Amino acid sequence: MRETLPAVPSLGSLYAAAAPRVLRKVASVAPGSLPDTEAYVESVRCSREQLIAYQRLMGDTVREELPSVLLHGLGFPVALWLMSRKDFPLPLLGLVHLRNEVRHLRAVTPDEELAVSARALGLEAHHAGTAVTIETSLFSAGELVWRGLSLYLAKGVRLDGVQAPTAPERAAFVPPSTTARWRLDGATGRRFAAVLGDYNPIHLSALSAKVLGLKAPIAHGMYLAGRALAQCAPHGTGYAWCIDFATPVFLPGTVEVNRTSRPGGVVQFCGWNARNSKPHFAGQVGPL
Amino acid sequence: MASSPSPRRAVIIGGNRIPFARANGAYIGASNQDMLTAALDGLVARFGLQGERLGAVAAGAVLKHSRDFNLTRESVLGTALDPATPAYDVQMACATGLEAIGSLADKIKLGQIDSAIGGGVDTISDAPIALSDGARAGMLALSRARTLKDRLAAVASLRPRDLAPAAPGTNEPRTGLSMGEHQALTTEKWGITREAQDELAAASHQHLAAAYERGFFDDLVTPYRGLARDNNLRADSTVEKLAKLKPAFGKNLGERATMTAGNSTPLTDGASAVLLGSEEFAAAHSLPVLADFVDYELAAVDFVSGEEGLLMAPAYAVPRLLARNGLTLQDFDFYEIHEAFAGTVLSTLKAWEDPEFCAERLGLDAPLGSIDRSKLNVAGSSLAAGHPFAATGGRIVATLAKLLHEKGSGRSLISVCAAGGQGIVAILEAR
Amino acid sequence: MADQYLNFATSGLGRSLVKQLGLPAPVTLRRYREGAPLVPGAILVVGSSPLAAELGELLLAWGQEVRTHDAGDSSLGAIVVALDDLESPSGLSAPALTVSPALRKLAPGGRVITIARPASDDDAPAVAAARQGVTGFLRSLAHELRGGATGNGIELAEGIGLEAPSAQGALRFLLSGRSAYVDGQFIRVEGTGGSLPANVDRPLEGKVAVVTGAARGIGAAIAKVLHRDGATVVAVDVPAAGDALAKVANEVGGTTLQLDVTAPDAGAKIIEHATGRHGRLDIVIHNAGITRDKLLVNMDAAKWDSVMAVNLESQLRMNQAFLDAGLPGLRLVSLASTSGIAGNRGQTNYGASKAGVIGMVGASARLFGELGGGINAVAPGFIETEMTAKIPFGTRAAGRLILPSLQQGGLPLDVAEAISFLASDAAGGINGRTLRVCGQSLIGA
Repeated sequence: MRETLPAVPSLGSLYAAAAPRVLRKVASVAPGSLPDTEAYVESVRCSREQLIAYQRLMGDTVREELPSVLLHGLGFPVALWLMSRKDFPLPLLGLVHLRNEVRHLRAVTPDEELAVSARALGLEAHHAGTAVTIETSLFSAGELVWRGLSLYLAKGVRLDGVQAPTAPERAAFVPPSTTARWRLDGATGRRFAAVLGDYNPIHLSALSAKVLGLKAPIAHGMYLAGRALAQCAPHGTGYAWCIDFATPVFLPGTVEVNRTSRPGGVVQFCGWNARNSKPHFAGQVGPL
Repeated sequence: MASSPSPRRAVIIGGNRIPFARANGAYIGASNQDMLTAALDGLVARFGLQGERLGAVAAGAVLKHSRDFNLTRESVLGTALDPATPAYDVQMACATGLEAIGSLADKIKLGQIDSAIGGGVDTISDAPIALSDGARAGMLALSRARTLKDRLAAVASLRPRDLAPAAPGTNEPRTGLSMGEHQALTTEKWGITREAQDELAAASHQHLAAAYERGFFDDLVTPYRGLARDNNLRADSTVEKLAKLKPAFGKNLGERATMTAGNSTPLTDGASAVLLGSEEFAAAHSLPVLADFVDYELAAVDFVSGEEGLLMAPAYAVPRLLARNGLTLQDFDFYEIHEAFAGTVLSTLKAWEDPEFCAERLGLDAPLGSIDRSKLNVAGSSLAAGHPFAATGGRIVATLAKLLHEKGSGRSLISVCAAGGQGIVAILEAR
Repeated sequence: MADQYLNFATSGLGRSLVKQLGLPAPVTLRRYREGAPLVPGAILVVGSSPLAAELGELLLAWGQEVRTHDAGDSSLGAIVVALDDLESPSGLSAPALTVSPALRKLAPGGRVITIARPASDDDAPAVAAARQGVTGFLRSLAHELRGGATGNGIELAEGIGLEAPSAQGALRFLLSGRSAYVDGQFIRVEGTGGSLPANVDRPLEGKVAVVTGAARGIGAAIAKVLHRDGATVVAVDVPAAGDALAKVANEVGGTTLQLDVTAPDAGAKIIEHATGRHGRLDIVIHNAGITRDKLLVNMDAAKWDSVMAVNLESQLRMNQAFLDAGLPGLRLVSLASTSGIAGNRGQTNYGASKAGVIGMVGASARLFGELGGGINAVAPGFIETEMTAKIPFGTRAAGRLILPSLQQGGLPLDVAEAISFLASDAAGGINGRTLRVCGQSLIGA
C-alpha cells in the first residue's frame, strides 16, 4: 500500500515525534508485524549548496555528480517516516545501524528530480535482538538509479516464535596497515547533521548522547561510509557497495583506515581504533 | 623528413644557498622572499651578475603565503639582477627546486634562453596560517555583501570555533597521515632496521661536517643572519647517540617502530639557487662550467590506495631515466638520494635490489641492483643539512655538480621524493 | 660613518661651545668628489729651483691658478714649496718665511706640500742637515694648520725629476681630497716607472683588483674606491662573512671569493679566480686583518698566533704564490698600522704583525719590481670602523679627538684613497714604502 507524502519530511520533526516513545519498552515483536506500507515522495532535489557542503565535508572534490551516501541521505527521511510511524513495531530511538548494501546503478547529476520509495522488507532474529531491513529506492523519470538496503537492530527485542541465532564466532580482528587516518573532532556529528539534516541526538553533543545512554556522541555511520566512499568509489559510473558497522566511533576520535585493492576492481576498506585494535567498520566498493 | 637538430647542452655554472636553519630558530622573522633574495644575491655576487638580464629565474616554495603569489619575481626585483629578468614560481612540493632547475635546463637546451637561475625556499618559522574554512566563507560572504542586512548575516554566520586559525600541516590531505607516518609504513614493509637508518643518519652528519671542514661549501654557501653553517649539523653524531632516541613515527608499530627524530629530517628554513647557462653564455662571461644537466624524469605513485609508499616515486622514475639515457644504476660516480627519512633512502635502494619489485612494479627483466654505498650522499644530505622543502633540489644540484667538477669526470644521479606520492630524478655529468 | 661629536662640533651651537670649553674643533675634511676642483683656490709655488718653474708649468697645465711670488688677494688652495736645491740649513729660511704670510690665506682643506730630496748618509753633512730639516719643518707646520688643511712632502730620490710619473702622481694625490687624512707624511719617489692615467677620475680603468677582508670596514671602503676608480673588484673574505661580502660585491659590480687567507692555497685560489673570471690580476690589497688585544702578561698562544697568521704570515705565503706565478706588473698594497710603527699598549701581537708588514713590504719591493710591479703599505691611524669600535670609549675618544692634528678619526674611505693611489700605475715609481694615513697622530711621532 503506497502512501504518498507531499514532500520529504523533516528528520527533526520525525525524531521529535518519536521521542515520547523513547521509554516505550518492547520485549518482543511478531514476525509479520511490519506494516505493508510503501512511503513515497514524488520529487526530491539536492540543492547545489547541499552538494558542495557535502563534498567539502568529505574532503572530496566538488563534482556534478551525487555521491552515493548523499543519495542515501535524500531518501533517508522517507525511510525514517516509515520507521517513526506508530504501526512500526520497533522503537526508533535506540535502533543500532548494522549494515548498508547499496546498488548505485548509474551516475546521478544534481539537476535530476528524484522520486523516493521506502519499504520495510522484513524482520529477522539476531543474536542480540531483532533486526529489520529497510529498502530505499530512488527513481529518475521512472528509472531506478539507486537502491539501498539498511539493516537496523533493536537490541533485546525477541522475534516471537523464532529461535535467536547464537553469536557467530568472529576471528579476532588483526589491524591491517594504516593507509589513512581520520582525526574526527567533537563537532563532526553536528557538521554531518547540518548537511544531511540527521539530527539524531546520539551524534550531536556529549549531553544529548548521555541522555540516550552513550558515554560520548558517536559519528554517523553514514558519515563514515561517506568518507570511505569519497576515497574508494569510482566517478561517472554506477557501482555497488556495502558497509558493516562493528563498534561506534566516539567523538572526538581517531580512526585508522586501511584500503586494499582486490581483483575485479573491488576496493575493500575498514576502519578501527588503534588504541584497542577494535574494528569500527568494514566494507567494499566494486562494479555492479 | 629532416631529423631534428640535437639540442645544445645546459650547464651548471654554480650554486649558492644560505645555511639551512632548524625551524623556529635562527631565521625567525625571515620570510620566503627575504631568504630567496639572499640566496639569489649571494649567487649574483659570486658570479658577478649584477645588472645582468638573465633568461629566467624559476623558484618556489611549498608553504606559501597568498601574498607571495609572485614570490620569485618579487625576490628578483630585490636583487642586484637586471629588473628586466623575468621570473616565475614553480610548486611541486619537495620536488619544486629540482623541477625548476630541470625545466630551465630544458629551455636552455631548446635555445629559448641562454641563462637561468633555478631554486627554492621554504620557511616553517614564517609559515602561512590561514583562516579556517568557516571563517573564510564568512569573510568572503561579508566582502560580497551589498546591504547592511547581508553584512550582518555574514557576520552572524561566523562561529567562535571558526576563528581558530588553520595552521599548515605536512599531513597528506587524502590520507590524513603525516609524511613520517607514511614512511613508517614503507620502512616497515621493506624491513629496514633501526640500525641501518641510524647508520645512514650518522654518515650524513659526518659527511656534511667533513665537507664543511675541507672548505667544500666555501663557494656554495653564503652566511645568513649570523649563521655560517647548517645548524642541524651534529658533527659528533654517532650511531650510538642516535640509538638512544625514542621512535617518533610509526608508534603504533610498538616495538617495531624504527623512525626517530635522528633518522628523520627536521623541519627547516632555508633557500638555494643554481646558475645554469648554455656553454656560450658561460664562455662569454668567463664563468666556470661544473657539470652538464643531462636529463631528468618525474614519477608519481598511487599511495592513496595503499598500493605504494608515499615516498617511493623516485624508485619508478629512475629506471625510466636510465633507459632513456642508456645507463645502468651502477654507471654513476655519485648518488644523492634525498634523505627525507633514512628509511626513504634505504627502502628505495632495497626496492631496486628486489627482483619481485623490479619485475612486477617496474616491469624490468632484472633488478636494477645495488649501488656502491661509498658513492652515496658523500657530502651529506638532508638528515644533516636539513630540508627546507623547495630549497633541497638546489642544494643537491650545486653540491653534486661541484663534486663532479672536483673529480673531473663521471656522472651523478639525484633522487628526490615529494609529497603527493611524487618524485623527481636527474642525471648530471662532469665537465 | 656617523660621528656624533663631529656633527655636534660643526653645528652652530656646538662650535661656540667647543671653543668656550677648549675642546678640539674638528672640521669636516675636504674629501675627493668627482668634478670638484683639485684644490680650493689658487696654488702658490714657492722656490727658485728649475723644478719650481717646472712645477708652475705643470700646475698650469693641470688647469690650476698658479702664483709664484706672493699669494695676492685671493685665498690659496695650496702652497707648494720646491726645496730640491737646498745645499745648507740656511737655505730653508727664505722659503719658510715666504710660506709664513701665505698661511693666512690658506683656505680650509688647503694643502702645504714640500718637494725635496731625501737626506742620506752619503750626503755632505750640511746637505743632509738641510734635507732632514725639511721633515721637521713640514711636520711641525702640519701641526699648526687648521681647518682641515694638511702638510705633506714629496721626496724625490737623486736624479728623479718632476717628469717622473710618480712625482706627478704623488703631487696630484696630495693636492686632491683623496689625501684628506694624510697629514705630516712624506711620499718618496725612487723610480721613473709607472704611467699617468688617461682619465684622472678613472685611474684604475681596466684593472682587476683583489681586496682581502672586503666584507666590511676598511676593506669594503677599499672595494668601493677601487671600483669608483675604474677597477673590477674581486672581494675576498672568510666564508663566515660571506653575506656582508656579497653585499659589497653587488654594490661594486664585482665577484665574491669566500676564502680564508690563511689557507695554504689562498694565493693560488685568488689567481685562479681573478684570471679565470676576469682574465687578469693587476692589483692585490692585503687588507684582511684581526686584533686579539691583550697585555703581553695575559697573552696566550691562540691570540698571538692567530694575529700573526692572518695579518702577516698569510701575506707572505700569498705573495710567494704571486711571485711564483710571475704576474706581470702586479701592484700590491698591504695594510700596516701606526701600531706597527709606534706600538700600542695591549697590542704586542698586532704591533709585531703590522711592523712585520712594513718590513715585508720593504724587502719584497725588489722582487715585485723585477716583474714590473711593486708593493707598498698603508699604515692607518685611528679609523672609525667596527674593529676600532671595540676599543674602550675613553681610549677611542682620545685617539680620535685629541691626538691627531686633524683632531678627528679618519674614515675607511681615507685609507682606501691612499691605497687606490698606491695601487695605481701613477705610483709605479713608489715601491717598498709605507704611507701613514693617520691625520698626523702623535702616536709614533
